[in-house]
Amino acid sequence: MRDHLLSVRLLSWLLPTLFVLGSGFSQARAADMKLEVQLLWGTNDKQSPDPKHRPVDDDVHKKLKELPLKWSNYFLVNNKQFDVSANGTAKVPLSEKCSIEVKNLGHSTVEVSLFGKGEKVVGRTQALPKGEILVLGGNAPNATAWLVILKRLE
Amino acid sequence: MTEKDYSTTDDQTLVRAAQKGDMTAFEELVARHRDKIYARAYSMVRNEEEAIDLSQEAWVKGWQRLAQFQGESGFGTWMTRIVINLCLDHLRKQKRQRSESIDAMDEESGGVERQMPVVTVNPTAGLERGELRQRIDRALGQLSHEHRTVLVLHEFEEMEYKEIAKTMGCSIGTVMSRLFYARRKLAALLVDLKKDDLGMT
Amino acid sequence: MIDYDSQLKIQAYLDGELPEAEAQQVAKRLAQDQEAVLLLSELRNTRQAMVNAQAPMALPETREFFWSKIEREIGRQESPQPAPRRNSMLAAWRRMLVPAGAVAAVGLVCMLSLVSSPGPRMETALADSGAFTYRDYNSGATLVWLSYPAENEFADSEPAGTVQ
Repeated sequence: MRDHLLSVRLLSWLLPTLFVLGSGFSQARAADMKLEVQLLWGTNDKQSPDPKHRPVDDDVHKKLKELPLKWSNYFLVNNKQFDVSANGTAKVPLSEKCSIEVKNLGHSTVEVSLFGKGEKVVGRTQALPKGEILVLGGNAPNATAWLVILKRLE
Repeated sequence: MTEKDYSTTDDQTLVRAAQKGDMTAFEELVARHRDKIYARAYSMVRNEEEAIDLSQEAWVKGWQRLAQFQGESGFGTWMTRIVINLCLDHLRKQKRQRSESIDAMDEESGGVERQMPVVTVNPTAGLERGELRQRIDRALGQLSHEHRTVLVLHEFEEMEYKEIAKTMGCSIGTVMSRLFYARRKLAALLVDLKKDDLGMT
Repeated sequence: MIDYDSQLKIQAYLDGELPEAEAQQVAKRLAQDQEAVLLLSELRNTRQAMVNAQAPMALPETREFFWSKIEREIGRQESPQPAPRRNSMLAAWRRMLVPAGAVAAVGLVCMLSLVSSPGPRMETALADSGAFTYRDYNSGATLVWLSYPAENEFADSEPAGTVQ
């Protein structure tokens, strides 16, 4: 009986301590993220028909070249920078028809949802360290492509 | 007690007897349709042992679900659907265990697919039936399981796009692009195989 | 070169999957475009080859052996499982072990949060299985490609898949 009481007392001390330690450590890992999202148009044409579109930055172009995509040129349709707080979510419109929602899961991991015409098109969960990019893409008419790039700035 | 002889009994009667618990009737159904079910499983998974296991599993499931069979299709067709679904589950599990590769990317994505010119209008011209079967069999073995499945369901099972999409759990657009790629790739593979035989490569 | 959407329409025309109006458009194109005709012929011949080449296949096990496995499995799945015997000693051990197990589980969670994960956790959830992933470790880029036919994201004036 005495041993049983001893183990109950031990547990009643140990469990909360472990929880406090655990939550303290996990909070240290969940930091705010500064992100940039870009909506691109991929084509083999040398120019975009829309004068507002400009060619993508060299660093993004270089990364896209390493991927198995067949287009030679990428034009920036829209881009936005935004912050997502630890365990928070940000929803960013990219065009009239599409938007992106990013949830900061902590440990440099994001849960990304792409919406097109109000419906979820794709969801993706992955780590996104600084300097890396996530590219979501699909076919557009006339053998071109739409691409959404998510880049971690800080 | 003598065993019943069901060898001349029609499928419908056998099914009704099996639905009442007559295992001998069910065994006769298995004997009649086992080759067809096995062939379908093999065409999808391309492995003899796996095809045997999957067809066995299909028959066990068929027995368990026999009450649901109302005769809306032939019994063989109903069993084929069961084995197709089992094969698809099996292939999906296998795919999750393998890492994705750029080859799969190249095959599956309409965006990265190379624009294949028409290689030859009739890649099977001049081939005898037996030789054609062998070539097609080899060429099918070189396709990814998604492409092979869509070809099998469309060409062998004569399913419509909508039905294939429902069976494979994908959109009709995906069915169309996979079927297109599979057919073009099959034509190209058949031509390559022909060239190999003629010592042209 | 025929655009991809038109190629798919030619295939759908071959398979009898086009609505009447679209089928007529494709037929009109076929009357004028030799490239389209060649593509249709290739698709038709390949389809025919598949249909003609269905090989009969015999299951490589005897009737009796194959059936015996099925019968055994049906019997196994249909027989009721025996109920577990109660054991007072085991029950006593369980009462002691459960709290200790809870402590161990909490400890494990804390350990995992201290230890850095072996690699990035990556999952893609889709309405269907039409997306494919490619990862380039050198450039630090991950591509998720959705293999649907073209949508009208950039060209509202031209519906996707129009035969040109």
